[in-house]
Amino acid sequence: MNTSETSQSIHEQIVTLLPRLRRFARNLTRNPHDADDVVQIAVERALTRLDQWRSGARLDSWMFKIVRNAWIDELRSRGRRGKIFLAAEAGENIGTDSMARETELLSVQSAMARLPEDQREAVSLVLVEGLPYREAAEVLDVPIGTLTSRLARGREALQALLGTEGEAT
Amino acid sequence: MTISDETLMAYADGELDAAARAAVESAMREDPQIEARVAAHRTLRRKVLEAYSAELSEDVPERLLAAARGVESTRSKVVNLEDARAAMERRASRGRPLRPQWRTAGTIAASLIAGVGLGFFMWGHTESPLMRNAGGALVARGQLAQALSNQLAAEQSRDSAVQIGVSFRAKSGDYCRTFALSGAVSPSGLACRQGGEWQVQALTQEPGAAGDSGYRTAGSALSGTILKSVEGQIAGEPLDQAGERAARQRRWAAADR
Repeated sequence: MNTSETSQSIHEQIVTLLPRLRRFARNLTRNPHDADDVVQIAVERALTRLDQWRSGARLDSWMFKIVRNAWIDELRSRGRRGKIFLAAEAGENIGTDSMARETELLSVQSAMARLPEDQREAVSLVLVEGLPYREAAEVLDVPIGTLTSRLARGREALQALLGTEGEAT
Repeated sequence: MTISDETLMAYADGELDAAARAAVESAMREDPQIEARVAAHRTLRRKVLEAYSAELSEDVPERLLAAARGVESTRSKVVNLEDARAAMERRASRGRPLRPQWRTAGTIAASLIAGVGLGFFMWGHTESPLMRNAGGALVARGQLAQALSNQLAAEQSRDSAVQIGVSFRAKSGDYCRTFALSGAVSPSGLACRQGGEWQVQALTQEPGAAGDSGYRTAGSALSGTILKSVEGQIAGEPLDQAGERAARQRRWAAADR
């Protein structure tokens, strides 16, 4: 196979990405076991589809997208879509929840876990994984305007939960 | 001039072009409130990034490393479980005391089709990396055979793809060893040395069989199926470290009885 040399180095590139893939998957799934399963599925899937990866494209974005799709598939096959929507709805109300406000210093992680799915994905890709807006929008398959509005709402919610605003640093 | 919060956010994220950046910067100079809002965005960005930076230095599980390094030949092979089952039936009907449980076959198949870690079985396919089908019997090969022949339970690395569990001498005089394979399904099994080869006698994918810490010291972490297989065959006690070493020295040749 004449591509074996290239794909060998892609294997190692994916190995290098694994910590970030796990981190992203944890933010998606909010469960470390699910996260590792999803990463494994995604990695295996990516390796069968290396031909679909344009070598000019960022490998991390491409892998994040596969991780996300693997998670969506997983949810579908579990038939848990309904539960996720419920959780997302509950998340919307957190910002105005006085209990949450009193518990002042939530950890960043637990604040993130309270964000609705779409905001959490946006925050996770841009603020945690450091993707440019355009890359993040592509991972999420949304127009860039949608990405920025999710990101803005996610940040606002995080700031409310963490009490960052006006805080001395 | 009013600047939207999304623009300030984009500024803090370094997403604006030069002209827009200049506009924000001049607004910041004029209005301390705008400056404070930008600072809040930056602070949040830093906080979030810091909160998640520790995760990057965690150890990555072996199964993910194995998946990323991928065994090329296992990629998109379709597993023929019918062959596997038939092979097991044939062995069972020859009077072997054990029969692996196949109720998890679906899980195994699903993982295999996804191309799990080592790609532990390609039943009926000659290119199986770990076992081959020898006229209905399963014979260990490759990494599995090497581990069975050479690896000492007390000295093995936790990172090895094959983890050796209990070694013992069977009533037949043959040496047998339990093993666990890394991968999402963590199959485990029992192999006995016969005719200079490791014959896989039982194989299962029950939980509790993975190469966890308690595994090498006792049979406690073995799956029920494998444990029963061991109990059915063992003569005396499991080999201790010295016994294991001595058996390896004699290349696991059957002891006279």
